[in-house]
Amino acid sequence: MGLKVYADRTSQPSRTIIIFCKMNQIDFEEVKIDLSKGQHRTPEFEKINPMKKVPAIVDGRFKLFESHAILRYLACSFPSVSDHWYPNDLTSRAKIDSILDWHHANLRQGAGTYVFHGAMAPAFGLPLNAQVAEQGKKLMLSSLSKIELFWLRGDSRFLLGNSQPSIADLSLVCELMELEVVDSEERERILEPHQKIRDWMENVKRATHPHFLEVHGILYELKARLESRRNKVSTNL
Amino acid sequence: MSYSCVAIYLSQNHSKSLNKRISPYKQTFIRLATHYVIELFFLFRLKFIEAISFFRFLPFSGEERELELEMGLKVYADRTSQPSRAIIIFCKMNQIDFEEVKIDLSKGQHRTPEFEKINPMKKVPAIVDGRFKLFESHAILRYLACSFPSVSDHWYPNDLTSRAKIDSILDWHHANLRQGAGTYVFHGAMAPAFGLPLNAQVAEQGKKLMLSSLSKIELFWLRGDSRFLLGNSQPSIADLCLVCELMELEVVDSEERERILEPHQKIRDWMENVKRATHPHFLEVHGILYELKARLESRRNKVSTNL
Repeated sequence: MGLKVYADRTSQPSRTIIIFCKMNQIDFEEVKIDLSKGQHRTPEFEKINPMKKVPAIVDGRFKLFESHAILRYLACSFPSVSDHWYPNDLTSRAKIDSILDWHHANLRQGAGTYVFHGAMAPAFGLPLNAQVAEQGKKLMLSSLSKIELFWLRGDSRFLLGNSQPSIADLSLVCELMELEVVDSEERERILEPHQKIRDWMENVKRATHPHFLEVHGILYELKARLESRRNKVSTNL
Repeated sequence: MSYSCVAIYLSQNHSKSLNKRISPYKQTFIRLATHYVIELFFLFRLKFIEAISFFRFLPFSGEERELELEMGLKVYADRTSQPSRAIIIFCKMNQIDFEEVKIDLSKGQHRTPEFEKINPMKKVPAIVDGRFKLFESHAILRYLACSFPSVSDHWYPNDLTSRAKIDSILDWHHANLRQGAGTYVFHGAMAPAFGLPLNAQVAEQGKKLMLSSLSKIELFWLRGDSRFLLGNSQPSIADLCLVCELMELEVVDSEERERILEPHQKIRDWMENVKRATHPHFLEVHGILYELKARLESRRNKVSTNL
């Protein structure tokens, strides 16, 4: 039966799982669930994940959702996964767990809210909401500062000063890549003060080449569609 | 632990049998080498903590190492904080020796330079185990479950699929029950204890998310006659975390709390199951909430008297 990964590549955590599997030679079948077409709300997908969200996996009879739980499970279940992704050493592992836990209510909530309500909502037939986007942006910027201050000290190539990426690096950088869909100048303004963040993103991209670029290709298509839509709106005004 | 005892016995006897024939310098060298080889064996085959325990018997242990091992586990907590309570109850249930260091959030003790060295995020709970510092309650619970041999398997099973299911609930919790219930209780009842005003609008948003989360828990994880999440017969760290979160409802107005929980029979039964399974520590650790509730009610009465 093999591993099936139910994903939409416009979703940050979906991309994390796909890149992780490709990097670690984990055979899987990618089942596309198009969120913009509501495919996550079908009865068929509800049987896979009753929370109606992506990503989700099915490994034989075993079903699992929540991307961090999936990453931990894959890292521990597949012998081809290198140790640096989720080390066996308990203290190293705990530090990575700490970042993954922190991520939910910080960078994920901040960046996810900002990008969705500030740029992406129209792709789902929903209106933008500048006020909510601004709250998200504030949290996102605060999170970026904390990452630089605590986990990318000195010449750290990856979080915690590690010399190779972990699942925490992959999860957080995939989240930040969502910024590709906002207006380019705005994106530059956000990232320009954060040299360490930019370097770290480059390190993760290089370390997961060529899969990182390939999997993120969809964002550039989405960006083009959103820009075209924005241009139409301003032409019609 | 039995492996440690056998290894120590073997290494000591091996050294003893050499005493008669070999010079003291070689004896020391062989004893050290034996210890290190066995230590490496443990590191690769057994739990990390057993390796540390074995190190206690290493000859010529530095003062630093002795100090590390004697420092023990410190848990920095405020019992009014839901995740703090989960850690404390977990340690008590599993006979993990620890020193509880109280960080009073209402007095801003989480913002002192001293505590910032412990947790730069300035939040509780946080732990220090020897030199190792850690924050985020789920990461702490996983670490303790894997590091201390006294922890029973049901809290965080070794079986990968069982463990993954628990991880899934813990991850879901952040943006669902925790965010919902935490927001509702803080902005609807608790804020004055921290010198902040209530905010009914934000509390209402939190309440909506909390109610939706309760329904999901009942629908997905407490099916049939489940005593604990996932139909388990004993509690896991997920049960403890989520129920400690719900206990925060004790500080809101009692009638309001009844209205919220009354339609959720499964939730109420599950909470009772967790309380019973972690008796007497659960009640003892939650005692502070009843004190806090009394203070908040007294404050509300004063306000309505003055109006």
